[in-house]
Amino acid sequence: MTAAIYAAQANINTILLEESTTGGLVNSTNLVLNFPSKKAVNGMSLMAEVREQVDALNVPVEEICEIEHLDLTGGVKIIETDEAVYEVRAVILATGRKPIELDPPMDCDQIHYCSICDGGVYEGKRVVVVGGGNSAFDESIYLLNIGIRHITMLEIMDDFIAAKTSQDNLFSTGKAVGKTGVKLAGIHQEDGRLKFVVVEHCKTGEKEQIDADGIFVFIGQKPSSRLFANHVNLDPQGYILADADMKTSVKGVFSAGDINQKTFRQITTAMSDGTIAALSAERYLRI
Amino acid sequence: MFTQLTSGNCMAAIADTEQGVLIGYKELCPHCLNMEKMLVKYSKTHPDISLFRLNIEESPDTFKELGGERPPTIFVIKNNSVVAQKAGLMNPKEMKAFYQRS
Repeated sequence: MTAAIYAAQANINTILLEESTTGGLVNSTNLVLNFPSKKAVNGMSLMAEVREQVDALNVPVEEICEIEHLDLTGGVKIIETDEAVYEVRAVILATGRKPIELDPPMDCDQIHYCSICDGGVYEGKRVVVVGGGNSAFDESIYLLNIGIRHITMLEIMDDFIAAKTSQDNLFSTGKAVGKTGVKLAGIHQEDGRLKFVVVEHCKTGEKEQIDADGIFVFIGQKPSSRLFANHVNLDPQGYILADADMKTSVKGVFSAGDINQKTFRQITTAMSDGTIAALSAERYLRI
Repeated sequence: MFTQLTSGNCMAAIADTEQGVLIGYKELCPHCLNMEKMLVKYSKTHPDISLFRLNIEESPDTFKELGGERPPTIFVIKNNSVVAQKAGLMNPKEMKAFYQRS
């Protein structure tokens, strides 16, 4: 959306195509704390404000959009969606990332990847949280705040990698316990309802049961780059290789945000990338 | 696009609808936003289907009475009653198939 704002301000005829809804993963963030000018803000509310700015600039936004065909090779790029065919001179890829799902997948209606969306139904109940990074701890604190009775944190590595303050905040509640060096080995359901999970200790192979009504999974994100795999150069993990000006390996194709290979992925760094990508595209179109 | 329902008029609206879709949602729920936008797109090719929305935080009892458990839940209304429901995400193609087989 930042790239669209800058492009529109530069009087470039711009359209924003979005597979889901604008805002991406930020929409699933309960509280954003490090965004300049906002001491604390809900992620979805923040993205709604950015969207208002996009709409105010009369940028058309096609959401729930399915890209059916891409041709990025020539001077005119062709993007075919389920609603229209667009012929454009420059493209900015900013598809971000998606949560990594359990592997192997487990068929259970009580496995979730969004605490804001699905946490409320577990008020007064016990849940297991898979993951040991900052997201897992921040989401767990949110779950306790909305009334989850007890949380068991499961981390496959020997230590939780979340910030110490986040760990202290969660464990000091007395409503959460952590288990490291373990993996989720199985689930047991009765009448379609989760009853307990089976946890395996990685070093010993020993298994134990933990009563749980739901499972929340926060084990990181993966790049949403499948669509471009045969079009621009990606690293082995699937992130786009872009230079400092957000140029990809294809002339006239730029990329921005979490989809790029980079070290830090924050809202502010994604917005910075979007700014640079739009300005680079403007320069590309002008020259 | 959507007719906002409440505990006071939800059941009456369902009883008065030949073909419709009701979404149980809550504020600040990204999946709910996604599904609402999906329904808007779906309705472009199905203008005969009425769209309703019910805020489940304001009307939790009505949501439970309908059989809903978590947002977003889609309820299919045919011939003046709810004939099917599904929680979670769907794309327009999945929505079309879900509505047709309900």
